[in-house]
Amino acid sequence: MTDDARDPTNVPPAEPDARAGERRQEGRRASERRPTTIRRAIRDELADDDPTDEYWAETHPQEHRVVPVIELDHVYLAFDRPILEDVSLDARKGETICLVGESGTGKSTTLKLILRLLVPDRGRVCIHGEDITDLTFEEALEARQRMGMVFQSAALFDSMSVYENVAYPLREHTDLDEDAIEARVREKLAFVDLDPDQVMGQLPSQLSGGMRKRVGIARGMANNPEIMLYDEPTSGLDPLSTGTITRLIMKLQRELDVTSVVVSHDIRSVFRMATRVAVLYERRIVFFGTPEEMAASDNQYLRDFLGGS
Amino acid sequence: MTALAERLADASKHKLRTVQEYFSLAGKALRFAFARPFYAQDLVQQMDEIGVKSLGIVLLTGFFTGMVLALQSSVQMRAFGATMYIGRLVSASMIRELGPVLAGLMVAGRVGSGIAAQLGSMRVTEQIDALNTLGTDPIKKLVTPRVLAALVMLPILTIINDFVGILGGGLISSLLVGVPTGYYWRTVWEQIASDGFTLRYIPTDFVQGLIKPFVFGGIISITACYFGINTTGGTEGVGQSTTRTVVLSSILILVVDYFLTQILLSVLGA
Repeated sequence: MTDDARDPTNVPPAEPDARAGERRQEGRRASERRPTTIRRAIRDELADDDPTDEYWAETHPQEHRVVPVIELDHVYLAFDRPILEDVSLDARKGETICLVGESGTGKSTTLKLILRLLVPDRGRVCIHGEDITDLTFEEALEARQRMGMVFQSAALFDSMSVYENVAYPLREHTDLDEDAIEARVREKLAFVDLDPDQVMGQLPSQLSGGMRKRVGIARGMANNPEIMLYDEPTSGLDPLSTGTITRLIMKLQRELDVTSVVVSHDIRSVFRMATRVAVLYERRIVFFGTPEEMAASDNQYLRDFLGGS
Repeated sequence: MTALAERLADASKHKLRTVQEYFSLAGKALRFAFARPFYAQDLVQQMDEIGVKSLGIVLLTGFFTGMVLALQSSVQMRAFGATMYIGRLVSASMIRELGPVLAGLMVAGRVGSGIAAQLGSMRVTEQIDALNTLGTDPIKKLVTPRVLAALVMLPILTIINDFVGILGGGLISSLLVGVPTGYYWRTVWEQIASDGFTLRYIPTDFVQGLIKPFVFGGIISITACYFGINTTGGTEGVGQSTTRTVVLSSILILVVDYFLTQILLSVLGA
């Protein structure tokens, strides 16, 4: 297969030629809109109606068409080289957005933008419609308290016990007394299917990889955040643990209506938990739609991606 | 030629940026010492780590340095019949120079490397990112307690180092050189008093000998935290950060010691 065939940007434009002529004259603006066009083209190829909107109208009638919880609007980011170009995506309340793509395409960077650990060169990152790119460092620390993050390596503080790890955000940002903290830690550990009495006193180094990830989730959700971000939550885990973590992410969405963004390589998990999938390819989002749309797509890159995973 | 000039310009810009970041970290670390929340538990833990746990090596180096100082100088001084002044020489050398510098170098090796390795590991295992995402400023939580602990503990370690050094010198003077113990301690005090007193009661020698370790404590902790927090490249990067910390802080201690001595001598006199 040639590179051309793999290139998702080879999807033929769905718009009339006259419009395309206008865009050529617009120069930079045209290049900024390119992935949107491709996404639209893919969608146009797939179906006339929009199953995503229907799904959301049924399941979340109140939130339907209201301001998205997370929104990336034409985001550009570069360090020594471009990292993200014209990335736009949104997540509505209770949605689980999965970010997939080859390694080094900027998936984890997208999470860091949402957390405001990074600031885009251009474009906006909004949480509940509020642009977070201009926040001061202190304001950003505060904004992050509404989000929980689960790291690829779990990133538990190895000098602290499991209890101290999960209690950390509570000690930092709440005035709860020790009994309330312990109750909350027990509740969160039980939520992630860990026996609090067994693991609370242990150090992270004494836990298995899957257990560490679950403690990571418990710590991420300790403050009852409305947004959960997961960076490859199932990488390096056996199939059973992968299933457990996937079920947990779904449980969080179902029971607590948390809005989640999950970076993952595991297509099986993605298809189980995603309400929508964003595919990053060479710094751009080349597909953003439901798993069904993705599976039904005849775009060569998406087919290769699904087939090769 | 232009390419070479550009590369040189880039390299110097990079160095300047590093220096700027280094001082910016130092400024933030000290500023956060006066802002809530205070991490008192971390401060006490770091004082134990930096101070109490360094006591062993400081005692050993101080004691043996004092002994070898007395031994070497006795050989030279015997030629002039001046062995009775060993106490003065040992005390001046230990309090003004060897105490602070040796304590500094020892702590740079033991504590600086430890801090760089710990913070470096936290960086590569995403624990520093985790702190950020949990709404904690890593500088405040990790750097400030370490810098404060080093600023407090290094002068204390230096006082202990000075004392055991003079003690070791006294032991050799009385056992091998034949200077009576009482006379040795009298000359030690004479030396301390001879340089005068600052603010009436504080021997000027002590002032000089305590400003230095205070500065060295800052150098060691900030260098270690800077390299630790900016570690990249996995476990190999952690190793590099550790090495860089020990090398740079040792060099800085020796260079800064010279200039600090110049300044202190001109300000305090003697």
